[in-house]
Amino acid sequence: MHLGMVIDLKRCVGCQACTIACKSENGTPPEVLFTKVLEQVAGEYPIVKKKFIPVLCNHCEDAPCVRVCPTGATTKREDGIVLVDHKKCIGCRACYVACPYKNRIFLKRGSLKNGYFGKQLTPFEKVKYPKWQEGVVLKCTFCVERVDQGLDPSCVQTCPADARIFGDLSDPGSKVSRLIRQRGGFQPLSEDNTEPSVYYIE
Amino acid sequence: MRQAELTAQKDYWAKSACKMCIHSCAIRVHVVDGVVVKIEGDPDNENNKGKLCPKGQAGIMRLYDPNRVKTPLKRTNPQKGIGVDPKWQAISWEEAYDITAKRLKKIRDEDPRKLLVSINDFHRIHIWGWGAAFGSANYFSTVGQYCGAAYHPINGTLDGSFACTNDYEYCNYWIQIGGGDGFSSHLHVAGSIKRMAEARVNRGMKVVVVEPRMSTGGAKADEWIPVLPGTDRAFVLGMVNVLLHELNIYDAEFIKKHTNGPYLVGPDGNLVRDPETKKALVWDAGSDSPKAFDDESIQEYAIEGNYTVNGVKCRPSFQVIKDTLKDHTPERMSKICTIPAETIRRIAREYGEAARIGSTIVIDGKEYPYRPAGVNYYRGAIGHVDGGLDSLAMKLINLIIGNIDVPGGHIGVGLDHRCLIVEPGADGMIKPQPHLLHPPYDYANNPYSFQLMEWFPIGIDPGHLSADNILNPEKHGFDFKPEALIIEHSNPMWNLSATDKVMEVFKRLDFIVAIDVVLNESTEWADIVFPDHTYLESHLLVDIEPPVITGHVYRRPVIEPLYDSRDATDILTELAARIGFLEQWNGLLNFTVFLKPEYYLQPDKKYTNLELTDRMAKSIYGPDHGLDWFQENGHTVRHQTLEEMYMPYREHRIPIYFNFFKETGDDLQAKMKAAGRKWDTSSYLPIPVWRDSHPLHNLPSEYDLYAFAFKETLINFSESNSVPWISEAMENIPMHMGVMINTKTAKAKGIKNGDTIRIQSPFGEVTGRASVVEEIHPGCIALSNGISRWSNHPIPKKSNTHFNRLLPADVKWTDGMTGHLETSTKVKIFKI
Amino acid sequence: MAKTTPLVGNEFVSGFRLQTEWATLIAAAFFFGKIGSGLFIMSLFTHSWVGALVGLLIVLIGKGGAHLLYLGRPERFWRGLTKPGTSWVARGFWAMMIMMVSGTLFLIFPAGSTANSVFAFIAGLSAFVVAIYDGFLMNSSPSIPLWNTAMMPVLCLFYSLLGGTTLSLFLIEFGFVQVAIETVFLSNMEIVLLLTNLIIMVLYLLSMTNATAAAKESLRLLIRGTFALPFFVLALGIGLIFTLLMSYFVGVHGGAGVVGLITAADLVGHYFLFYLLLRVGVYKPVLGQLTM
Repeated sequence: MHLGMVIDLKRCVGCQACTIACKSENGTPPEVLFTKVLEQVAGEYPIVKKKFIPVLCNHCEDAPCVRVCPTGATTKREDGIVLVDHKKCIGCRACYVACPYKNRIFLKRGSLKNGYFGKQLTPFEKVKYPKWQEGVVLKCTFCVERVDQGLDPSCVQTCPADARIFGDLSDPGSKVSRLIRQRGGFQPLSEDNTEPSVYYIE
Repeated sequence: MRQAELTAQKDYWAKSACKMCIHSCAIRVHVVDGVVVKIEGDPDNENNKGKLCPKGQAGIMRLYDPNRVKTPLKRTNPQKGIGVDPKWQAISWEEAYDITAKRLKKIRDEDPRKLLVSINDFHRIHIWGWGAAFGSANYFSTVGQYCGAAYHPINGTLDGSFACTNDYEYCNYWIQIGGGDGFSSHLHVAGSIKRMAEARVNRGMKVVVVEPRMSTGGAKADEWIPVLPGTDRAFVLGMVNVLLHELNIYDAEFIKKHTNGPYLVGPDGNLVRDPETKKALVWDAGSDSPKAFDDESIQEYAIEGNYTVNGVKCRPSFQVIKDTLKDHTPERMSKICTIPAETIRRIAREYGEAARIGSTIVIDGKEYPYRPAGVNYYRGAIGHVDGGLDSLAMKLINLIIGNIDVPGGHIGVGLDHRCLIVEPGADGMIKPQPHLLHPPYDYANNPYSFQLMEWFPIGIDPGHLSADNILNPEKHGFDFKPEALIIEHSNPMWNLSATDKVMEVFKRLDFIVAIDVVLNESTEWADIVFPDHTYLESHLLVDIEPPVITGHVYRRPVIEPLYDSRDATDILTELAARIGFLEQWNGLLNFTVFLKPEYYLQPDKKYTNLELTDRMAKSIYGPDHGLDWFQENGHTVRHQTLEEMYMPYREHRIPIYFNFFKETGDDLQAKMKAAGRKWDTSSYLPIPVWRDSHPLHNLPSEYDLYAFAFKETLINFSESNSVPWISEAMENIPMHMGVMINTKTAKAKGIKNGDTIRIQSPFGEVTGRASVVEEIHPGCIALSNGISRWSNHPIPKKSNTHFNRLLPADVKWTDGMTGHLETSTKVKIFKI
Repeated sequence: MAKTTPLVGNEFVSGFRLQTEWATLIAAAFFFGKIGSGLFIMSLFTHSWVGALVGLLIVLIGKGGAHLLYLGRPERFWRGLTKPGTSWVARGFWAMMIMMVSGTLFLIFPAGSTANSVFAFIAGLSAFVVAIYDGFLMNSSPSIPLWNTAMMPVLCLFYSLLGGTTLSLFLIEFGFVQVAIETVFLSNMEIVLLLTNLIIMVLYLLSMTNATAAAKESLRLLIRGTFALPFFVLALGIGLIFTLLMSYFVGVHGGAGVVGLITAADLVGHYFLFYLLLRVGVYKPVLGQLTM
């Protein structure tokens, strides 16, 4: 089992539903975004092109973050998901500079004292914040709790354009594998040899 | 499951309906230990099929906003203004009701017209008439009318629809003009994005987007065609000209059989009628003679040619259309809209060829015409003076390829579960339905509503006119002044144009009462505020403007209400009772809640929202489909049947020549003349033409750039950027945080990215930060609604870049036919 | 704007992004680690006990302290030893531990004894690792092209030797240590190292002019953009040019004040060079550049 995601750039409309669904599922504090959609514009009026590019942790097969982590807090599961054990992380942020995609986020001191409305944490934040600790590095987990229940990650579930597809890359019959074959999937920064589990199709 | 049973559980998912925009996607909400922890789309619902947009996801932060109104409030600071602290005092419901009812009863006893009404809760359309039941015809808001005034009446007149779309399931060539359908906004965003993606990616549907700014749709389109604001009609009429005069591509059979294209029109523009029967006449090419339209002996309807009937020269209306638009050449239209003539020709040809005129398709064993091409549009295209003509042009380009409500083509969308309202009208046509939102106002020589709705017989309340009429009553002879304002789910100070005038009106009001969830720019001026439930705490059956599907989603509370709030419907019922018009209110509700006679409300009894919802459910779906049934089953949403979606007008003709508009205009003009009043009805035309008299394009040349406002998915409709998850994402998107200006335009004016600029229109002034980009027409600038807020709410960034300040608000800048305000303007800009 | 790849902050725009986590404290940690281990190594050659002690202390307190201050969870710092098999952070931490222990033992055991020599060797080796491991750490991922070059550990090695030499001269001049070799030798070595570092730095930056886009963006920021002033004035000007000129034309003959000045200038320039290299670290845009 090698879990991965295909992102269909032709479908994505940059609505940020995934950005906010992820935030809702994970209860991340302000400024912490595990996924988001970037825009990219090129050309000169009137010949202009604009693309929407969702980005998230690529759960690389040969992850530099796993390699560089001195405590073993960052590990890769059998099924491919790269996770951070917050109890072991010392917050050295070597993973942050090692990740070519800049997908690792350091939760600085004081981040969990404030919610989106200041010092008053909403009931939602009171439920979600205990999941996190300050001083460690966080990132997308492919919604591992959902995956372990057989569900898709939140971003995949909500995407109105069905631009994110999740599945087993090692199964040639899975939707992700078929899409990569049929539409020519390519990995982000493949020249960095990280072997991402996220593929883009145009 | 019953409500009490549901919320007693420790960990459950409750199905309900979203309300983060005016449409109502089906959601499921996860509640653990009484705390809402996740909102997702309901996969079992055909509407959004489990998908949910970013706003829907962010509903949790609206529910738990500590700035919500938690109890009834009374203002203790007599001072009112921007940034002023109202110094709210929490009061009891009894005191709030008492103060409000007494005050409004006094007004009602003196002159109910003194009440301004701003009730715009788009999920609770049934309560919009509260003011009318009170006795006030006033409408002090631009909500649905900033985008819809020039849109809805034309839709209703064409085929009994309220809105429109193209056929997601069969279209191959989709032209989208001035609207975000399928990409970022308008009808049921989540479901529409899904359907649009399926069409583009799985079927290879080609999309052409015509807009001054590269919106999301423009970015995804196969082709983005930049256009100057307020000139979209020129582009479309240029296309019509090419199809009719250069390519000869039009669906003659459809026009003959299903429209009034064959109906003879005389030199005065009116239909030619049989002198005795008064029936509209057509020319039978088979017998070369005029006949009544329903004469069964007609062999061949002529839609072209010049004929004489009883000595009167006449032509089939289709010929009149052809002749009228002969001079709308691509070259001439190109000068107006800046789209090159060869592009107009090319798109017209692609569109005409994609339409496959003459072909048919069999769906579920039924054969229909197959026209897989269509032009869809919304506010950007029609939100202008002459907007009615803009809409007409958008309909015409669809009509001539015969794609109205057929597979692949341009599909009407109903206001609610009734889908398209098809009733027989005069002359074998369908009955025009310009008044689906509320009944028309009777004409009167002296105005009785500040928005002059009585002088817009096919319009939708031009709420923007109210301020000017309040401040200058002598203009149209108003003999009453407003004293109070009731605001429910609305923000008139922000959504109306000529913001300074609106604020002046607010200053002059004695009493402002508000019903809402959070306070906004307008309700911070209130004297009394009633707390409404959020959508996650209330009941309703909802079905607003559904494309493709029909049926109600059941909104139910997913948790017990957090605060001492009550349902807005109940608040209004209680107020109606105390003020003394419960009978009129219940009479209105009988109609607006779709009640069958056996469920009619007793005139003197107060009914709760729950009781109303139950009666509505039973009235629409049958006696065993009451609230109980919905609590178990959640919704009645289903895909529209073929009969509902395709050609529901089959037994009647639909207009291609909109004589209804002309006749209405002539009638109004006659009445105005008789009253001795000057009133411009020149825009009540049966055929859309380009009119050089358009005031927007005739502003002094020192105002050299067009300007308009825009939104995208994150800040669609409203309920947006005071929600922190939404504002956080939005603030990271550069186009929402600055004023978009084309690179070359900026360079010529010495403006660099990030510079603070002053933007001046002939009517107002704002400042903002320049965002210099390639993806906008060099002739205009665009202001996102993201930087337009100024309320005391801590979340949205306060800014002086509110576009509506730049807009005027008077009759000159209002579409004569529909009451739509002009939503673009022209400005000059310079670096500060 | 649309013609070139922009440098972006947190906005949702594809482009070059700066790394923002490793700055003052990490620069300090790497700085102290290099000069401390450099001094320790030089002290092994100059047979200076005091110098070796000072070197050890600089590494322990300066580097160790800066790291502890920087860590998000300093109370768990010991976990950083867990994975030397793959992690240069862990390896550096091990090297530092070994250097501390063996260096202390080296200082305890009397000079000339076998134990002393053995521990001197171990300590020297681990000090060498401490001196260059941050270069390998920065090089270990292709994430930030400016750092992903073999020049990085080379630069670290020579800067640590330079730091060690400068400090040795400083300690000698101010009478803290006695050394077995000629001051002049050290002072010539300093000049050679300054020149070498200047050349290496120039070569390093030159090699970046033909490197990938993100590296070129880093270079642009360093020599033409927001960081150009501190780079040219502090890192290059004061750190290398001023020191070189002073060392060549005046040198130890100038007396304690001059030596102090040269030391300060060298250390300031050293710190800022690596601080700036950290600050201008740029990531590549995830899906490259869109061109029309």
